[in-house]
Amino acid sequence: MHRLKWLLVPLAALLFASAYAEKLTFVLDVAENRSDEGQAIVAQLQAIGIDASLRIWQSTVLKEEMIAGNRTASATDWGSAYFDPFDLAIPKLRTKDRGNYSFYSSDVVDEAFRVASTSIDDAARAAAYLSAQRQILADAPMVFGYVLQNIEASSDSVHGWEPAADNSENFHLTTVDGSDTLIIGLRTNALVTLDPAMYRDRDNEAFLRNIFDALTIPTSDGKVQPHLATAWRVIDPLTYEFDLRPDVTFSNGEVLDADDVVFTFDRILTEGGIDGATSPRAGLLGPISHAEKVDAKTVRLVYKNTFPQELVLQALTHFQIVPKDYITEVGVATFTAAPIGSGPFVYARGALDAQVVIEANQTHWNGAPKLKAVVWQMMPEASTRIASLLAGEVHIIQAVPPDLVERLSSVPGVSVHTALGTRAYQIELNNSTAPFNDTRVRQAINYAIDWDSILTNIYRGYADRLATPFLPSGFGYAQDLAPYPYDPAKAKELLKQAGYDTN
Amino acid sequence: MRLTKLLERVLSAIPVAIGVAVLAFMFLRFLPGDPVEIMLGETQVTQQQIDSLRNQLNLDKPLITQLALFLAGVLRGDLGVSFVKNAPVVKLIADTLPATIELTMATVLVAILIALPVGIISALRAGSIVDRSVLSGALVGVSMPAFWFGLLLILLFAVELKLFPTSGRIAATMVVDRTTGFMLIDTLLAKDLRAFGVALKHLVLPAITLGVVFAAVLARVIRASMLEVLSKDFVTTARAKGLREWSVIIKHALRNALIPALTVTGLQFGELLGGNMIVETIFAWPGLGRLVVSSIFARDYVVVQAAVMLYALTYVAANLVVDALYTLLNPRISL
Repeated sequence: MHRLKWLLVPLAALLFASAYAEKLTFVLDVAENRSDEGQAIVAQLQAIGIDASLRIWQSTVLKEEMIAGNRTASATDWGSAYFDPFDLAIPKLRTKDRGNYSFYSSDVVDEAFRVASTSIDDAARAAAYLSAQRQILADAPMVFGYVLQNIEASSDSVHGWEPAADNSENFHLTTVDGSDTLIIGLRTNALVTLDPAMYRDRDNEAFLRNIFDALTIPTSDGKVQPHLATAWRVIDPLTYEFDLRPDVTFSNGEVLDADDVVFTFDRILTEGGIDGATSPRAGLLGPISHAEKVDAKTVRLVYKNTFPQELVLQALTHFQIVPKDYITEVGVATFTAAPIGSGPFVYARGALDAQVVIEANQTHWNGAPKLKAVVWQMMPEASTRIASLLAGEVHIIQAVPPDLVERLSSVPGVSVHTALGTRAYQIELNNSTAPFNDTRVRQAINYAIDWDSILTNIYRGYADRLATPFLPSGFGYAQDLAPYPYDPAKAKELLKQAGYDTN
Repeated sequence: MRLTKLLERVLSAIPVAIGVAVLAFMFLRFLPGDPVEIMLGETQVTQQQIDSLRNQLNLDKPLITQLALFLAGVLRGDLGVSFVKNAPVVKLIADTLPATIELTMATVLVAILIALPVGIISALRAGSIVDRSVLSGALVGVSMPAFWFGLLLILLFAVELKLFPTSGRIAATMVVDRTTGFMLIDTLLAKDLRAFGVALKHLVLPAITLGVVFAAVLARVIRASMLEVLSKDFVTTARAKGLREWSVIIKHALRNALIPALTVTGLQFGELLGGNMIVETIFAWPGLGRLVVSSIFARDYVVVQAAVMLYALTYVAANLVVDALYTLLNPRISL
């Protein structure tokens, strides 16, 4: 009898557990910049009986914890340098890929991504992306979020300028009433370098694109156009050939030809190729083997595996061609201090953490810019940028926070401009452990969040809802795929099916 | 005798700096976050590319080897190359330090200009309405967040009144060759008085933002020590000798009352030289604070280690200068 008593305890516990299911309990992790959003989400989850709580992190620390698999639900964002899911959806959702913080794995999706990143048949790629999106939506590996618009503002004296989806700033045709100099307030703390091989961030690229040219150039909404390359053709599935524009010189008079193009790619692809340092940009080029010269005005890019033409052309927009003779002669250090390019502007002077000045390249192949000079002012604080625009000290400012747009729009003489964004925001759910190894639970969370109210109230409508981490601006986007609607009843039902108490 | 004492103090700073360097090294390595992961950003990279970068930055070596390499570098005077900016740390710090020193000098000047008269007057009128409003004003000053106060100044004096520029060190369209890195000196060297004036105007708002907070502390210290000194016998004696009141206050009382104020100023000076990330960010002031904070976020260990060593040395130096000044103010104190 005495021994039997011990048996009764677990039995009673079992009965208790089955009669009274537990609530779904988890911690939502967010970095500082998304704490308002996190609070709103937690409140909505609590309203349908989920025991959710919020934890706020420094983003780098959170990222490391996520990669180690120590977190269950974490807000993340990931940007795309291609107008193609190649460097956003793929690294975030392919099994064990670099950005797959949800630990999601699907054979269907992996196969679709394999086709999409290797096929040279556009129709097959598009079909693969469509099937991947359908599968991802059904599996709900994460809570799908939104894409923030890129909001910039300018004085009404500025003409011929618009913000670009990829944060580029193209001033070739820009004019300013009553001034031949334009001043722009950048969001960044400091530019990293003037060497086009040694940076990774966009702000640096936006600047360098003004003093260097690339083989192709993106329009402000992401279509690729010829630039230094005037035409291209497929030689075989691993080789693309490019014709170079015949009349291009660098601002020091050096002719830009195939040698410069090959040199540009060599220094990026060679380990330790920049005075012993390795370029952090090689990954952007895809599975490239090398570049080779055919004749003075023809170059070939040779790949190790098949790589879709659209991706090759997208990638090339990010590689500014540098002058071989100049760099060989003066060395990397001097080149970095006094860069020479073929772009519409030439570097004049400056300090990378304060202000940098570029002046019109009078001999640019596409005609000299209308402005005489552009001053790039580093202004990391948004309120200061806005004050500076209002005080008339700068003509254009980047990155206006959505909650300050209203204040700017009501001021005469300045206007707010927006462009599509290229950064997807979502909440990663750890698919490898409970509770989110159950598809129903992940779907339930997707139904339980009222994104429309969050996007309207917190992001003031300057954000667009996403059905999956595929951006509407990208290749192969499924127009007809609707995001999870806000449906708390459905969420509760799914949670009940999964064995959770929702009262 | 004094010289050897001084030398001893200077040399004693070396172990302090190295100790701090080792601590900074260890703390940074314990901080979660991988510099390579951050540097490569959101790209498709192969494991081989990651490994190669890690190898290049010595991050694949055991911690103790990394520490040894770092200390060996320090002894050779080589503080390393920034991961992110691919530039020598010494250059990065030399580029940003003058901006911070300039702002620090201006801040301390603003603080002294406010605190000295205010502190003396409120001590002389202790308990009066003036005194009490100074005390509560000081409390407001100390509690005011720099972020809020700085933006308030910008909105009022730059946007509305247009008396001062919103941010930066010099007008965007002005060309000033960098010789010393101190904008006020460089503009003078270039014999450009207009640029000098513009640079001076750029200093005003950030210096007031930082200076007011410091003035609040300093005014209270001066008031308290003045009150103490004014009740001392030698002040009574001086008055009894029939000296003029201002002479008693300035020559006899203030000189002695300044010692605690000097201590506070020295420490504050050391702290300000570290750069103030918030004020430097609001005023787009390219100083050390912004460099260090952005380096911490990027886990750019090399820059942070060097900066922490610099901080330690600055404190030691500031203390040393303060101690030396004590002996000038009061010959009974010696090093």
